[in-house]
Amino acid sequence: MKINILFLFTSILFSSVTMAQEKDISGVVKDGEGIPLLGVNIIIENTQSGTQTDFDGNYSIKAAPGNVLVYSFVGFKPRKITVGQESTINVTMTVDNELDEVIVLGFGKQSKRKVTDNIASISSDEINQIPVASMQGALTGKAAGVQIQQINGKVEGGVKMRIRGISTISSSQEPLYVIDGLPLINDDESVSEAPMNPLISLNPNDIESIQILKDASSAAIYGARGTNGVVLITTKQGKLGKTKISVNTATGWSEATNKVDWLNAEQYVELFTEASANSYGADDLWLTEQGGYFDDMANGLDWRTGEVDTDWQDLALVKGYVQDHGISVSGGNEKTLFYISGGYNNTEGIVRGNTLERYSYRGNIDHRVSDRFRVGLNSSLSKTHVKRLGTDNSFSTPLQAIAQSPLSPPYLSDGIVPNNESTIYYNFLMQQYNGSWNVNIFRAIMNTYAEYEIIPGLRFKSEIGYDNNSQLDEYFAGSLTESASTNGYADATSVQADKYNLNNYFTYNREFIGNYDLEVVAGMSFEESSRKSQYVAGTGYPSDDLQTVDSASEITAGSTTRTKYNFLSYFSRATFSILDKYLLKGSIRYDGSSRFGASNRYGLFPAASVGWIMSEEEFIKASEVVSLLKFRASYGVTGNAGIDNFASLGLFRGAAYNKTSALNPYQLPNKDLKWERTTQFDVGLDFGFFNNKLTGEIDYYIKNTNDLLLNEPLPGTSGWSSITRNVGSLENSGFEFVLNTKNIVQENLSWTSSLNLSTLKNEVTSLPKGDIISGRNLVREGETISSFYVVEYAGVDPDNGDALFYTNTLDANGNRDRTKTSDYSQAERVIAGSPYPTFMAGFTNNISAYNFDFSFTFQGEWGASIYNEGGKFQSGNARYEDNQTLDQMNRWQNPGDITMVPQARMYSTNGQQASTRYLEKSDFVRLRNLSLGYTLPKDITQKFSVDRVRIYFTGVNLLTFTDYSGYDPESTYDNYGNSNIQKGVAFYSAPPAKTYTIGLNIDL
Amino acid sequence: MIMNNYRTIQTVIVLLSLSFWGCNDNLTIDPEQYLNTEKVISTSENLNKILNNAYGTARASSSYGGGINLASELIGNGGDLSWNGTYVGPAEFNEKAMLPDNGFVEDIWMNGYSVINQANIVIENLEVYTDPDEKSTKEGEAKFLRGLIYFDLGRLFSKPFNASAPNTQLAVPITLAAVIDPYTLESPARNTLDEVFNRVVTDLTDAYNKLPASNSFYANKYSAAALLARVYLDMGMYDKARDMADEVIRESGASLTGDFAGAFNNDSNSSENLFAWQVTSQDVSINDNNTFWAGRDFGGRSGNPDVSIEDQHLEIYDDPNDQRANFFYQARGMATTKWKSQFGNISFIRLAEMYLIRAESNFRLSTSIGTTPISDINTLRMRSSAATYLIAIDLETILKERKRELAFEGFALFDAKRLGNEVGSIPHNANNLVLPIPQRETDANTNLVQNDGY
Repeated sequence: MKINILFLFTSILFSSVTMAQEKDISGVVKDGEGIPLLGVNIIIENTQSGTQTDFDGNYSIKAAPGNVLVYSFVGFKPRKITVGQESTINVTMTVDNELDEVIVLGFGKQSKRKVTDNIASISSDEINQIPVASMQGALTGKAAGVQIQQINGKVEGGVKMRIRGISTISSSQEPLYVIDGLPLINDDESVSEAPMNPLISLNPNDIESIQILKDASSAAIYGARGTNGVVLITTKQGKLGKTKISVNTATGWSEATNKVDWLNAEQYVELFTEASANSYGADDLWLTEQGGYFDDMANGLDWRTGEVDTDWQDLALVKGYVQDHGISVSGGNEKTLFYISGGYNNTEGIVRGNTLERYSYRGNIDHRVSDRFRVGLNSSLSKTHVKRLGTDNSFSTPLQAIAQSPLSPPYLSDGIVPNNESTIYYNFLMQQYNGSWNVNIFRAIMNTYAEYEIIPGLRFKSEIGYDNNSQLDEYFAGSLTESASTNGYADATSVQADKYNLNNYFTYNREFIGNYDLEVVAGMSFEESSRKSQYVAGTGYPSDDLQTVDSASEITAGSTTRTKYNFLSYFSRATFSILDKYLLKGSIRYDGSSRFGASNRYGLFPAASVGWIMSEEEFIKASEVVSLLKFRASYGVTGNAGIDNFASLGLFRGAAYNKTSALNPYQLPNKDLKWERTTQFDVGLDFGFFNNKLTGEIDYYIKNTNDLLLNEPLPGTSGWSSITRNVGSLENSGFEFVLNTKNIVQENLSWTSSLNLSTLKNEVTSLPKGDIISGRNLVREGETISSFYVVEYAGVDPDNGDALFYTNTLDANGNRDRTKTSDYSQAERVIAGSPYPTFMAGFTNNISAYNFDFSFTFQGEWGASIYNEGGKFQSGNARYEDNQTLDQMNRWQNPGDITMVPQARMYSTNGQQASTRYLEKSDFVRLRNLSLGYTLPKDITQKFSVDRVRIYFTGVNLLTFTDYSGYDPESTYDNYGNSNIQKGVAFYSAPPAKTYTIGLNIDL
Repeated sequence: MIMNNYRTIQTVIVLLSLSFWGCNDNLTIDPEQYLNTEKVISTSENLNKILNNAYGTARASSSYGGGINLASELIGNGGDLSWNGTYVGPAEFNEKAMLPDNGFVEDIWMNGYSVINQANIVIENLEVYTDPDEKSTKEGEAKFLRGLIYFDLGRLFSKPFNASAPNTQLAVPITLAAVIDPYTLESPARNTLDEVFNRVVTDLTDAYNKLPASNSFYANKYSAAALLARVYLDMGMYDKARDMADEVIRESGASLTGDFAGAFNNDSNSSENLFAWQVTSQDVSINDNNTFWAGRDFGGRSGNPDVSIEDQHLEIYDDPNDQRANFFYQARGMATTKWKSQFGNISFIRLAEMYLIRAESNFRLSTSIGTTPISDINTLRMRSSAATYLIAIDLETILKERKRELAFEGFALFDAKRLGNEVGSIPHNANNLVLPIPQRETDANTNLVQNDGY
């Protein structure tokens, strides 16, 4: 300290003497967090002389007062400082996350300024520390035109990411996920109908950035798999400079976002006694008499005196618990960069008995062999253990307990053994008491690459990727469960899916005189995916403690399977920029896949785009107001190959009758099966005003998909139920609007906001074979895919309590007859809504003030509806003996009553038929996440040799604003999770979790 | 040295970039879990396996593994049974308020036509058989299955057959061509019940003529004869019903089991089985007769047996010693013992039914082919330790005996329709005793006309 002051003093003394002469200038260059930067280039403007910072960020250079020093470093904003009298110039460089940000594209990178595509880019800051177990969950609300929804509140539950709508009916609706250049395995390996999230084994904290390729111009380089958009995940890499050790630890709790009001014992008795009287007369006391049905339910307890009043919902939806810990070590020098991390996540779900535990490891390394030769390896390993539950359509799933009568005690008198003697339905507690379902997932992802500069400007890169997803499911149901008759049941299913991928491509880069830039990428890619599975099941166990098939007295089922598919592709892309103003890009991909018939094995997927940076034109350049104005337009073709591996062949499958072998017709052939083709047009404008304090994007797109790969329902009289054909077309179109503002930029106070809005219009434009109806959903020409198609409920007849429906028959003029009828068969189905939102919004704010940081994201969706398939049981005016929602107490009782709930008639249908009675709008706005952090002052932390200590609170789904009366506007029936048509249906579907965590970041 | 290294690298690059221009062959992958259709229909061994599968499909829970039985018993239930289950489909049957989207109805239809298509595939490719006996047997079995399915689909989806008038009421479409090629797909309209029953009689008569007297657990000559007896009885053709039943009793070699219990819950066919669906613990499709009718400890669903037996039913037994009157057990509600075994075979045509058909037909025709009606009835009663009748019996007695013997075996609705009996207070020809054409079908095939009342 003393020395520094002395030094400064002498410098000032000498400065007058050496004025206008070259002198020694020295200093330290650090980043915004105070970490010294190694290798920062410092040059004197308009000269050849310059230097670099050393390992501790120190530099020294000879310069004269008046000279301008230019500090530049990759990923940071360049700084210019005019030399004055001082001889020490310490510089803090800030990360450049704005318009010159580098965007990852398929097979390359590009400066954001020159990008002519629509790509949503999400950085690690936006997704790290959001305490959700799935990577996709952290992205919700962050990108315009991207809808992300976890099917329901089970922790491992499937996640649906919809980029710019639904572009297919029967083919895959999933985007292509690419991690560090390797397309990921994204097949649902759930052994039940309820899908699991195949990416659950990725640790979100290892992600550096995510780019979502939304338009055809960016996605067409992935050809046959680009239609649903491409999600490029880049994992973290070390940065030049001091080795950084980061520790993150968070812990918290969670609960259901919402609970529904159910009848208590007293109300249950009242409603069902009335329902029975209406059906069988008040004299029939079969429910209430001594030894009657209510006594049966109560299992020896006296319901008359209120001895039993079970809240089954509280037994099913419990308090959850979250723990997330991670440590990473990263850094490097000019030759080698590295990043190593380990993570642990333990999530106990809000649905009783549902847990997830994940251990993950990542090691990334990048090494320069020479100036021209670079090699690297990205690797990750993880083990995930999930305790699963039955699907929404099983009695063993906890939330089905809401159907149980409040008169039935949950446990026997000992309070330990679940009561399965007097419950109306199988008691789910028994499954957890006497059964188990464990899933272990092992995932290894490796990607190694070598890049070689053949001549200046021409580089060759070879990437070899390998992804292995191994999963073991072990299920046991003991002698007290639903498998009682066979004295227990156990099975085990093992799956090994692996994919290897080879990319070889050349990149040629050249700047021509006069500011013309050309980049050409050309190469090939080969990918092979295979999957094997083994399954065995057995019954009859000597003891409930022996839970593996090893102890089975009889092996009742077993199977092994093998399957495989390949892709072989060639691709090329050229980008050309003229005078940094006019941008041109073209790409082409030629894809072949084993999935298609021999005659249609290859597909060609071209794309082109143009850009015009208007703000570079003289007439705008001078403007103080406009900092950027870029016009973009693109057009391209993408494909969809998300069908079964052998969909074009006529097939029979092995089967058995009475333990003798048999062949079962499996699939009709279709030799003409070919790629689904989507052409997409996008026009957009990027803008920046007031020195980029206000930036944004406006886009309009229109996406037409033809030759839809459609599982067309066949008349059952053919002996078949469906065939995959290329029939029909559909269209998605919409506006997207992104606005980022820097509301306050001050030394110790900053506030930025980001708003994204998007509209979506989906329309089936051609369906030659006519409507496809699947359950409540309809696919019809001229309508949104999966529109709800049900009879319209008209309320209750005030005279007699009958449920009424609108007949809605079409007359000659095309008008609907609005006559009300109590005869359901007289009423016609009408289109009554859609499961997809037509408008979505996300609004994120980041505020930092002194040592505090605060951020939150609101997210909303409008225009969708949910049909409650369980409504007939749950809110069916006591038709079945299931417990009812509280609103059923408003049933019709006396002539003249005006209500929407019909007269209660036990075991007699009165309004429980499928109708709009069970369809509801699911618009919502949700405080998706919120985080508040405090960073300890540096002077305190440095005493402990710690660079940074931050304490934070994070919440997920803290607030939800909705009129939807069901569990949650985002939770739907997991049995339909893999159905493309049956959407927006709820059936005992658990709500998502509302999570609160407290955490600590430490950087050493 | 360094130059050498670079040259090596450059050679590797050239090799890497060229090596994959030739990997198009990798795009041809043959499935390892499936056989190609052409391969399957070209050998008799494979056709036999399709036929074997057709039995398995027919035995699936959708059709004879429980679905058709449940539909008949619950729609035909006038108070003998109580439905306690949670499935909506059977609840609608019991309430006589089926909706066109009833999943059980859809399954009966879809699965039935799947069996028919498999039978059609065998029948259409019979030329690949080189052994004439084998060819004849396989054709007979395929036609037995096809005739059986058309018989039950016809009965379920149309108004009752009227023996004394043309039956122009719509039944189900008749498809006789195999569908293995999507270009031959059709959207057929419904045929009349006369047309359907004519097809049933033709197929079953062919089967009767072509099948051997003995054929392992598959259909044999007497399975076809017995089924024909059942069909003729339904059509009011009592002379033919009687003669077929008589032939079966005399010549099939089948005999009544020593006691009533011996006829049920057997792992292999009993001596009185003329045809039974085979059930094993390894089956993909469970036995829904057990699932819905048995107590929890025997493979039924939790809580009550989904179908419990009410006191009203017990009133039909006239002798407390009758084994049939005691063929029940308590499982919260009362359950029938007929479907107690989870993996026992499903008795489908028992010799006992032939005695009942012969007795009823002889009585109606005032004949005594084989023996007298009272003697046939007493044969059954003796087997079940019930007191025999000494004096002359009437038709009502015979029909009551039929109910005692065949209860819960899927006859309830069909007998009500055949005999013109009301179900509760619902007339036998009411709209709501006929299944709706599944909504899925009317959606996929606009040539199908929906039944009245739906």
